[in-house]
Amino acid sequence: MARFEERGPRLPVAQATRVDKVHPRARTVRVLVALVSVVMALVMLLPVGVMVISAMKTRADVMSSPPKIFFKPTLEGLVLLLTDRAQLSEEDQTKMQALADQGKLGLFARIALSTGMEITGPSAYVTRLKNSVIIAGTSTVASVVLGLFAAYAFSRFAMRGKNDLLFFILSTRMLPAVVVTIPLFLMYRQLGLHDRHLGMIILYTVFNLSFSVWLLKGFIDEIPKEYEEAALVDGYTRMQAFFRIVLPQAVSGIAATVVFCLIFAWNEYAFALMLTSQRARTAPVGIATMMGRGGIEWSAIAAGAVGFLVPVVIITFALRKYLLRGITFGAIRG
Amino acid sequence: MATIELQKVEKKFAEAYAVKPLDLTIKDGEFVVLLGPSGCGKTTTLRMISGLETVTSGKILLNGKEVTWRHPSERDMAFVFQFYALYSHLSVRQNIAFPLQAQGVKNDEIERRVKEVVDILRIPHLLRARPGKLSGGDQQRVALARALVRKPAAFLMDEPLGALDAELRESMRAEIKNLHVAQHATTVYVTHDQIEAMAMGDRIVVMSKAEVQQVGTPIEVYYNPANLFVARFIGSPGMNLVKGQYAGGSVSLHGGNRYSVPPAWTSRLGSALGGAPDVILGFRPEAARVSPQGALNGEVYATDMYGGHTVLHVNINENEIVHIRSDRQSSYPMGTKVRFDIDPAMVRFFDPRTEQAVRGENPPSAAAEVS
Amino acid sequence: MPPTNEPQQTAGAIRIQPRRHLSDRSIQNLFIWPTLALLIAVNLFPLAYSLYFSFTNFLAVQNKPPGWVGFANFGTILNEPEMWHYFATTGRYALMSVGLQTIIGFGLAMLVRRKFFGSGLITTLILIPMMLSPAVVGMFWKMIYNPNFGFFNFIVGAGDAGKGVDMLASKWFGTSTPGLALFAVVIVDVWMWSPFVMLLVLSGLNAIPEYLYEAAAIDRASAWFQFRRITLPQVAPLLLIAVLFRTIEAFKAFDLIMPMTGGGPGDQTELIAVQLYRKAFLGTFQTGFSSALAYIILIIIVAASNVYIKYLNQIKGEA
Repeated sequence: MARFEERGPRLPVAQATRVDKVHPRARTVRVLVALVSVVMALVMLLPVGVMVISAMKTRADVMSSPPKIFFKPTLEGLVLLLTDRAQLSEEDQTKMQALADQGKLGLFARIALSTGMEITGPSAYVTRLKNSVIIAGTSTVASVVLGLFAAYAFSRFAMRGKNDLLFFILSTRMLPAVVVTIPLFLMYRQLGLHDRHLGMIILYTVFNLSFSVWLLKGFIDEIPKEYEEAALVDGYTRMQAFFRIVLPQAVSGIAATVVFCLIFAWNEYAFALMLTSQRARTAPVGIATMMGRGGIEWSAIAAGAVGFLVPVVIITFALRKYLLRGITFGAIRG
Repeated sequence: MATIELQKVEKKFAEAYAVKPLDLTIKDGEFVVLLGPSGCGKTTTLRMISGLETVTSGKILLNGKEVTWRHPSERDMAFVFQFYALYSHLSVRQNIAFPLQAQGVKNDEIERRVKEVVDILRIPHLLRARPGKLSGGDQQRVALARALVRKPAAFLMDEPLGALDAELRESMRAEIKNLHVAQHATTVYVTHDQIEAMAMGDRIVVMSKAEVQQVGTPIEVYYNPANLFVARFIGSPGMNLVKGQYAGGSVSLHGGNRYSVPPAWTSRLGSALGGAPDVILGFRPEAARVSPQGALNGEVYATDMYGGHTVLHVNINENEIVHIRSDRQSSYPMGTKVRFDIDPAMVRFFDPRTEQAVRGENPPSAAAEVS
Repeated sequence: MPPTNEPQQTAGAIRIQPRRHLSDRSIQNLFIWPTLALLIAVNLFPLAYSLYFSFTNFLAVQNKPPGWVGFANFGTILNEPEMWHYFATTGRYALMSVGLQTIIGFGLAMLVRRKFFGSGLITTLILIPMMLSPAVVGMFWKMIYNPNFGFFNFIVGAGDAGKGVDMLASKWFGTSTPGLALFAVVIVDVWMWSPFVMLLVLSGLNAIPEYLYEAAAIDRASAWFQFRRITLPQVAPLLLIAVLFRTIEAFKAFDLIMPMTGGGPGDQTELIAVQLYRKAFLGTFQTGFSSALAYIILIIIVAASNVYIKYLNQIKGEA
């Protein structure tokens, strides 16, 4: 490449780079790297893509073999997921057919007619979804609020055995869920908390608490104490200093913590499986056990999986800055 | 043998200049200092010479051959970084041997050269140590050793003493200068510290806002600053620059003072200013002398005691303070009225509109002959 | 603005606090105790309770009170070859999964470390698998692995239903290949968690000061030389953290396995946490036995976590 050494690059360089990085060979490598990255990202997302497609297939299409790449998209999976259906009686079918011929049939009625089933109401999954929202939301709020207070105290106050206490809190995160569930199962049964929202909320709050205390303490540690000390000297009480000075500065750390707690509670499966049955069961367990007429209802499962993942994907994108901060922060800063 | 030439070298980011087109010739064995405040383009210029930065246009020549687009390692130049850039997981010996190993030099040759270099820098006792455990000064010596071991045609140094504390900086300064003289090596040295530049440079390139303000020896730059920036930047404290109006052979300053322009200047000052009356009067603190019969007066605002001498901050009017150097060992109380004179050989004038210095008739006088 | 219900102070006088504020001491207690109380009630207490059970022969389905059996449960577990088999399976799973995650995660990090157009977007996209619910992921990979209509068989196998590849039944082109199912699960785990390794490595890479590479460039060090001598040593600590963390998680693996294989085929994917669930919540609800097993798992994990935390502190100390 002697020509480069004499003439330089074809176009003038307007960024900060080294001379050897502008060499055509280096540039080609960079382009290749970018391409491979794109490919890798696509490969990583392929399974998700497959699921999204499956969610839009009819029951028959989903189970066709080999899998169809081109198909007519439908909302059938979603309907199967979210509704309970009953077989349409012969006479009802004829009545509806008559209406259809007159062009007086609405969208859902038409689907009912084509599948031979009519919608009787929301399915159990809808309840599960509602439970997920309630339980995940409430427990996140609780664990972040409690965690914030505790983190502040650990960060600012000296106390005997502080490091041991912190270690204890951190170690609870290390427990496998199953170790604690066996006695919890019995305890909850006795306390009447089994299969109740409150029971799950308490549990998720506690399990997120260790993580949120740990993470928030790290963030609060980074806020210089001088601000509060100046405020205290000026006559603010400790509480006022906490609310007016520390809290506003900790907002991004709080956001990161909220994201993580929310995602953990939303995705949680093991506890939900073992400590709930009908009333307070959450969506992940619901999805895994979706049974239809002929066995596992795959299109419904695909629809459910995709629907369940969508909020998480949205949150991941919207709050990726905080996510990245939280992950690297938590893992490195210990 | 290493002469470095920069021809119309410039660096642009989008539409903004990091370095405006610059011409510079560095002679063999010269110690040239690129001096200026942060962001002036000195480091970018140095990096372009080394190849760590691309030029947007222009040519860089080493001994007459163009090296603008050569790989940084093929320019026969060594680079010393501000933060040493030593590999923390390698020993000092391995760090110094690194460039030779990368070039494929034979092991016994490596041994020999490492030993040679380590003796020059007086750090043979550190060979086994890890850089992380060494003091700043020692780390910098190791970095210098690593640069030296390559026997390059030129040394490029980017604020190498910037990370050291003041005392260490002074002794290291002398060491580097000594090294330069002993090795007869062409050196390009970047710093923002004008004391360092004055102490070490054969020539200083004063830069500000991507542009070269002046190129000259320390004496030239000190006694004949080319513009207001250089006048202010060089010297601590910098040159006193006072606004005034020129008419009829004297400059009227705000606050009532009137300065009689020395005869050597009267002929050129009026035309140099293009007939406009605005002028800036410049004099260094040591060019003024407190005297009961002084032509100018003012009020003492503060006194800086340096032990061997004193610097008075004197208010000549509401807004302007000048610094006057005095040998007096005690301070004046605040508010004392003083009178002072300016040595006619050391006075300078500047055009406030162009910020350029008005050229004097002769190069500086008695002051320049002080050796 | 500072509160105004304060008596005026004269210069030099001791400031008098307004009466209604809480002392630091009480704030400290107020802030910490709710958290501690919850943790003790929901973590510590059940742990103790579990410990008690491990020494009994309690069956949760029966109404008989628990009978003390001492270390019998522990003995059974440690002597049963079946149990050792499950531990071995878990070990194999951990090894394969963490190994692959590390390599792929590291590779991904090296790809996206230098910013190029869209690199931020790509990094975020790669992040997604990590954020999903393991149980849901298990479910949809089950679909993907389906021998009849699954995408995996379509791509890897011949596409022929039943004659191609059935990962979850350990059939490779019709031949029974034990261990294939475990590998199938490993693939999913690696898919989910390589991004985690990637992120850690990426942050390590970004922390390497550029002037180290510049010095190496001036010294004409080859790319491989730079990788070995600069990049690798700087990233090694973070890599180790990732490895430790993921290994601990592998021993807790449950969410992913249960919906996907339920431990099968046979017991090829019966990881230790799955076995624990089975003994405790399915069949005869052997509370005593499973508590003992849970404790053994706990001890293993605590030991590993200790190593992890000690290493973390060491890194923090050096940082």
